[in-house]
Amino acid sequence: MGTLVIENVVAGYGSGPNILKGLSLTVESGKAYCIIGPNGAGKSTLIKVIAGLLKPREGKISFKGEDITQLRADQVLQRGLCYVPSDRSLFPDMTVKENLRMGGYVMRDSRLVDQRIDELFAMFPILKEKSSQMAKTLSGGQQQLASIARAMVLKPEMIMLDEPSLGLSPKVVQQIFGTITSLRDQGLTILLVEQNARKGLQIADVGVVLDLGTNSFEAPACDVLNDPRIQELYLGKRHQDVAAEECK
Amino acid sequence: MIQIIQILILGIALGGVYALMSSGMTLIFGVMRIVNLAHSAFIVLAAYLAFFVFKTFNIDPILSMVITMPAMFLVGIVYYRLVFASRADNPRFSDLTVLITFATGLVIEGVLAFIFTGIYRSTTPTYAKTSLNIGPFFIPESQLYALIISVLLIVSLWLFMRYTRIGNAIRATMQNRNAAQVVGVNVRWISTLSFGIGLAMAGAAGSLLSFVFTFYPAKHIAWIGMIMCLVVLGGMGSLVGALVSSFLLATAAAYVNFYLGAAWSPITFYLSLFLILLFRPQGLFGKKVEG
Repeated sequence: MGTLVIENVVAGYGSGPNILKGLSLTVESGKAYCIIGPNGAGKSTLIKVIAGLLKPREGKISFKGEDITQLRADQVLQRGLCYVPSDRSLFPDMTVKENLRMGGYVMRDSRLVDQRIDELFAMFPILKEKSSQMAKTLSGGQQQLASIARAMVLKPEMIMLDEPSLGLSPKVVQQIFGTITSLRDQGLTILLVEQNARKGLQIADVGVVLDLGTNSFEAPACDVLNDPRIQELYLGKRHQDVAAEECK
Repeated sequence: MIQIIQILILGIALGGVYALMSSGMTLIFGVMRIVNLAHSAFIVLAAYLAFFVFKTFNIDPILSMVITMPAMFLVGIVYYRLVFASRADNPRFSDLTVLITFATGLVIEGVLAFIFTGIYRSTTPTYAKTSLNIGPFFIPESQLYALIISVLLIVSLWLFMRYTRIGNAIRATMQNRNAAQVVGVNVRWISTLSFGIGLAMAGAAGSLLSFVFTFYPAKHIAWIGMIMCLVVLGGMGSLVGALVSSFLLATAAAYVNFYLGAAWSPITFYLSLFLILLFRPQGLFGKKVEG
């Protein structure tokens, strides 16, 4: 019994070809999943379909036993499933605080939103410090934090992150992954799409390899990390110089 | 000296109406990336509506805003849903809207000419003919009222955008459409609503214009050029920009009008458009377009 069950999902954009070709995946509550795969495998598409931003052509998605396949994005959010897009999409000419308020857009109760924002400021002091600055003035790492915090305003049960390390320096990537790890330790279900496969798999419980729109491989993250084929394809390691990867 | 201040007063008075005329257009562009070339035609349509209720029911043109604003709001919603909603994902959407709205403007012009003929019209409430004198200065009463109401409407729109939940959703959609969807804003609904609000502003402008200027069906061609200049100068999508550029250009045009003659006054607008595109193409308050 998983929290999020994806069954035979087929999806694509406009009148274009299918990107996802009958993908199935079960995400269990409280675990961290890392999806890796080459460009064009459908990683981001999968997240958009789950978030309700793209309607699947076929298949079914259910969250905590409820069918959410046809729900709008705001309805999916209200059910506790949040999404952090890959481009750190903030509202550039709104302050950090206004950005977080927009995170609570579907909540309607503005006092509750402000209360949540205060809790998040305690969790991310740097955002509190910058709370009245325009989002566009933040550094890349701070923007990523703000983007994660914005998704956390709704107190989600599950959070989906699309390439949180994209375009960030290694040091900042380290911090962002530290944040994701602490969210995992708080019991949040995490679905992480990551180009930086090693980093992603190191903090995940389960590794999922997507290829050509289907789920080609799913195993405990540690096993995926130490699988010789994966190492050669995604971790840039030659088969002979394999040393055991550090993992969770 | 007295003359210089007098011209300033008249320029500012007109600036308010110009700002109202351009506010709707800049909102519609900002939220939906629709270049609404029919905006001035909708303003002329609303002016005729104000003219019609003035002649038929003797309703004061200022009061007629309670009719023109909701009427144009509805027109906006229906127009957006019928024409634009299904095309919003088209990668060349903005290009498309230029042609579609231009055609719409011509259709409105044709229908108005058919119903009202091409005769110059204006509404003539009692205050359209009187002026207020303050010391050595005067201001036509009609322009004073139009200025006050325009500024009130724009400030209300600004407050609405700034402090309400829906207003924030509109601003969010303007700044980052994808992120707005991610946080659960129904972008399609917000777009429809914004188009309605934009045309409601056009409706208000039509009511006020009806006693400030004379108008005829083809007048929208002259006005759209002016409005485009104001919107581009202010920065497309910026409400504050439209307001500032309206006051700037209206005043500048008033001086040009006085010292060089009325024939040169429209040049003020086009010359400033030319200069701004040359030196600061994103406009005074606009955002640089990336990529």
